[in-house]
Amino acid sequence: MGGDRLKIVLSLTPPLLIIGTLFFGGILYGFLQSLGYQPAIQKYDINFDAYYNVMFSERYAKLFWSGLALNLWVSFVSTFLAAAFALFGALTIRKTFFAKKFCNFIFSLNLPMPHLVVAVGMIFVFSQSGLLARFFTQIGFIASPSEFPILVKDKYGFGIILAYIWKEAAFFFIILMSVLQSLGENFEELAQSLGANKWQRFRYVILPLVMPNLFSASIIVFAFSFGAYEVPAILGVNYPQMLPVMAFEFFLNPDLNARSEGMALSMIIAMIVMILVVIYFWLTQAKIRKD
Amino acid sequence: MSNKFKILTLAIISLFFAKLVSAEVAPGFNSWDDVKAAASGDKVNVYMWGGSDAINGFVDDFYGAPLKADYNVTLNRVGIAGTVDAVNQVLSEKEAGITGDNGSIDLIWINGENFWTLKQADLLYGPFAAGLPNSKFVAWDNPAVNLDFGRAVDGMESPWSSAQFHFMYDSARNDYEDMPRNYGFLTKWISDNPGRFTYIRPGKGGFVGTRFVKQIFFELSGGQEQWVGPYNEELYNKWAPKVWALLNSWEADLHRSGETYPTNNAEMHALFANGEVDMSFTQSPRGAGPTNSAGTTPPTARAFAFYNNMIGDFNYWAIPYNAPNKAAALLYANVVLEPTLQAAQVQPANGFCCGWGISTAKVTSADGVAAIQDAQNNLGDAAEDQGILARALVSDIAAEYQDKIEADWQANVLLK
Amino acid sequence: MENTLKKTNIYAVYLGALILILPLIAFFINAFSFRWFYPQLIPKELSLQAWVRLKLIPKEGFRSLDGFLDLWLSNPTIIKALVNSVTIGVIVTIVSIIIALPAARVLGLLNFRFKKLIIFIMVSPTILPPIAFVLGLNINFISWGFSGSFWGVCLVHLVPIMPYVVLTMTGIFANYNPDFEHQARTLGANKFRTFYLITLPAIAPGMVVAALFAFLVSWSQYLLTFLIGAGKIMTLPLLVFSTASSGNPALTAAISIVFIFPAIVILYFTSKFVSGDSSATSGFGKI
Repeated sequence: MGGDRLKIVLSLTPPLLIIGTLFFGGILYGFLQSLGYQPAIQKYDINFDAYYNVMFSERYAKLFWSGLALNLWVSFVSTFLAAAFALFGALTIRKTFFAKKFCNFIFSLNLPMPHLVVAVGMIFVFSQSGLLARFFTQIGFIASPSEFPILVKDKYGFGIILAYIWKEAAFFFIILMSVLQSLGENFEELAQSLGANKWQRFRYVILPLVMPNLFSASIIVFAFSFGAYEVPAILGVNYPQMLPVMAFEFFLNPDLNARSEGMALSMIIAMIVMILVVIYFWLTQAKIRKD
Repeated sequence: MSNKFKILTLAIISLFFAKLVSAEVAPGFNSWDDVKAAASGDKVNVYMWGGSDAINGFVDDFYGAPLKADYNVTLNRVGIAGTVDAVNQVLSEKEAGITGDNGSIDLIWINGENFWTLKQADLLYGPFAAGLPNSKFVAWDNPAVNLDFGRAVDGMESPWSSAQFHFMYDSARNDYEDMPRNYGFLTKWISDNPGRFTYIRPGKGGFVGTRFVKQIFFELSGGQEQWVGPYNEELYNKWAPKVWALLNSWEADLHRSGETYPTNNAEMHALFANGEVDMSFTQSPRGAGPTNSAGTTPPTARAFAFYNNMIGDFNYWAIPYNAPNKAAALLYANVVLEPTLQAAQVQPANGFCCGWGISTAKVTSADGVAAIQDAQNNLGDAAEDQGILARALVSDIAAEYQDKIEADWQANVLLK
Repeated sequence: MENTLKKTNIYAVYLGALILILPLIAFFINAFSFRWFYPQLIPKELSLQAWVRLKLIPKEGFRSLDGFLDLWLSNPTIIKALVNSVTIGVIVTIVSIIIALPAARVLGLLNFRFKKLIIFIMVSPTILPPIAFVLGLNINFISWGFSGSFWGVCLVHLVPIMPYVVLTMTGIFANYNPDFEHQARTLGANKFRTFYLITLPAIAPGMVVAALFAFLVSWSQYLLTFLIGAGKIMTLPLLVFSTASSGNPALTAAISIVFIFPAIVILYFTSKFVSGDSSATSGFGKI
């Protein structure tokens, strides 16, 4: 119906306008700058030099590829573990037990924590001179910070993964809790009465029902952890270095030519995330058709 | 004398005076009175690194009050995460075509590469520094002042304070006599105390680390003098391999076996304070004083310097080309050079970080001299002997070395 | 349904909760300490110095009600930042919900060409790293005259917020049955009454979740406020960042507590809507 179409267009215009002009307009400019176009210093080139430099030049190649590997590793592992941790928590906390309400609150507590605060908190607790290390020193287990294992600022990114799990689990937890609540217990009871054991109930009843929500949330968490800067900057090592940290260092360089390289790296990060999201959409479409 | 000659002489003399009188104090202002008149009632937007509440408080208290009382100028201090953010802002404004008096920044606390970025892109207002009345206290003939990272200042920035690289140690753990006084002894100290030393990685945001490494160049090559002047590729290539070899030889005995290095002062002080390493770096004439009062280093922390090759330099205030309140900016730049306020900078009680921007020898007023003497006597025992510092003082070198060292350190030491 | 839970499961949850709460404990201790270095587990020096330096608490000897008011009314940076953060957060939350409502309804209830593409566009700001678009946006804002203005900052906060709000509210509408509205209309209610009496109560829980997300996202924006605000608009995240760069753990902890406190309070009060029978977040799966 004509009226319907008008209604659709009018309803969608305000948010699309905001996102279209502000977001995509900004990206367009960033893209231009990554091609070398910087009118403020009278540079009007258009080329892919910055991209080439970032990925293949002698100075940056090692840093870039090791950073990319680290990025993928950190994002996949932390997203998966955060989801698993949250799922375990949600499945347990929906049942009644002592201090259930309190645990519920704690598990969702980290949602409003900004990532910078989370990263700083990790250092306070897990560094070699942090809270845990001091505890173990007080009870005589270790005698100096160097004897405490390296949990943050390590080259495998465990500290970063820990920080992301710590924060993103809350996001998953809240979503899972509401899904489980709205699903109710009927399906599980039915399965149980048909003789399914706990693991079977989980694998064939619960998991498929929460999967759609888990997937959607995962893609947001993955994308965010891939492109975020604060956590790896505080909890990572100098080498290998996650890509957003590497990009940021370009922007810290007073040499204006480094801007193009910083933008190129930002564009590369964005493109990788885009590709992964598209793969996700394609996979879920395939899955839906299969079902 | 013939009449013609008299007239000619008169003409020349009046021309001479006319030139004197109409010499601009700064572009657009014919006299200091003009500046004061134009600034009255204005705000001045001062952009500076905001990570130290002691420095922030100092600026607010010591400059805010006289600016308001004497000149009717309101101070608006804007704390930024790093100077490069202000540079980026000016750059963005230029790209957006903001000119005249329509920018947002009046003054930037700046030096080195950031200064050069703005200067070479013609993004600064000036030359203005020589026109300030208090510039008579500045030692403009000293290359440490008129060259910033080897590049001519040309009056496009005016000094605020100075800093000199040296070290901190914890008197509760070590003795002053045991601390190494050059890189040779430091190398021995590191191998005698494995895991107890590290340094800030040379890189963006870690110029102190770059300084630490530059000084190695000076020592290994026999002196800093040959490095002064324009960038010398041959000289660099001659000594760089030896420097990387030295740093790599330390690696096994460094904190974390050189797997990672602190990226800035804050991380370095934290490692030092928590007992993970035994030394840290400082640039204040008060040594460990500022950080001890702030509580970021233990109260037993003290300072020491090598006997040579401790780089010192000045930091400045610059005015962007499109500053909205240029007259107020000029007033501010002048106020910070006031001898009594410079002495207040150095007084420990005021918590400021750094040293003199003026040359104390040039101050003659009774008040000024008294304030300076008082400050000099009060530096506190967390400071190193000022004589040792003065004898070890060398200036920084051409800016090209900065980036080269940072890139090569990354390639030759970090990435091996 | 058997309600027994393996003891190990329960203890595992307790352990998880403990680990989750440890950093917060570290923050609290740090904020009230001075020189809390290794190996002190309990600080040797407890003090309010961090709060005094932040200018939230007056110096010794001035801690009367008057003293507090004098300090806060002198408009120190932290008060400016708090006021700005709250004001911006409230404004953009309200605006984003108003804008998102019609769009979410259309996306949730109807099917049309390009719907998937439009949803993708709406969600894209969460996917791409802020740095990719913020610098470019800054230039545009400067030339349009929005740079350094309060409203410019509000406008730009909408960008990261819209995806969350649209997504959440679309989820609500996806689970929503418009039949009740039709019933009300046939019974003679006009558009506004229908909305107010039927639609609103049904979507209210979801709206609360959306508002929660919106406020929190705005509350923690750093890069956007920093660049677009050009240093003139001071908000809490900016203050947290510059304090963190000073490396003073007590100060950083204190300002972090100020920063997360309101968010925790909001979370507590709205947790009823979120962990209860809420169709809001279950709508995530329908996308």
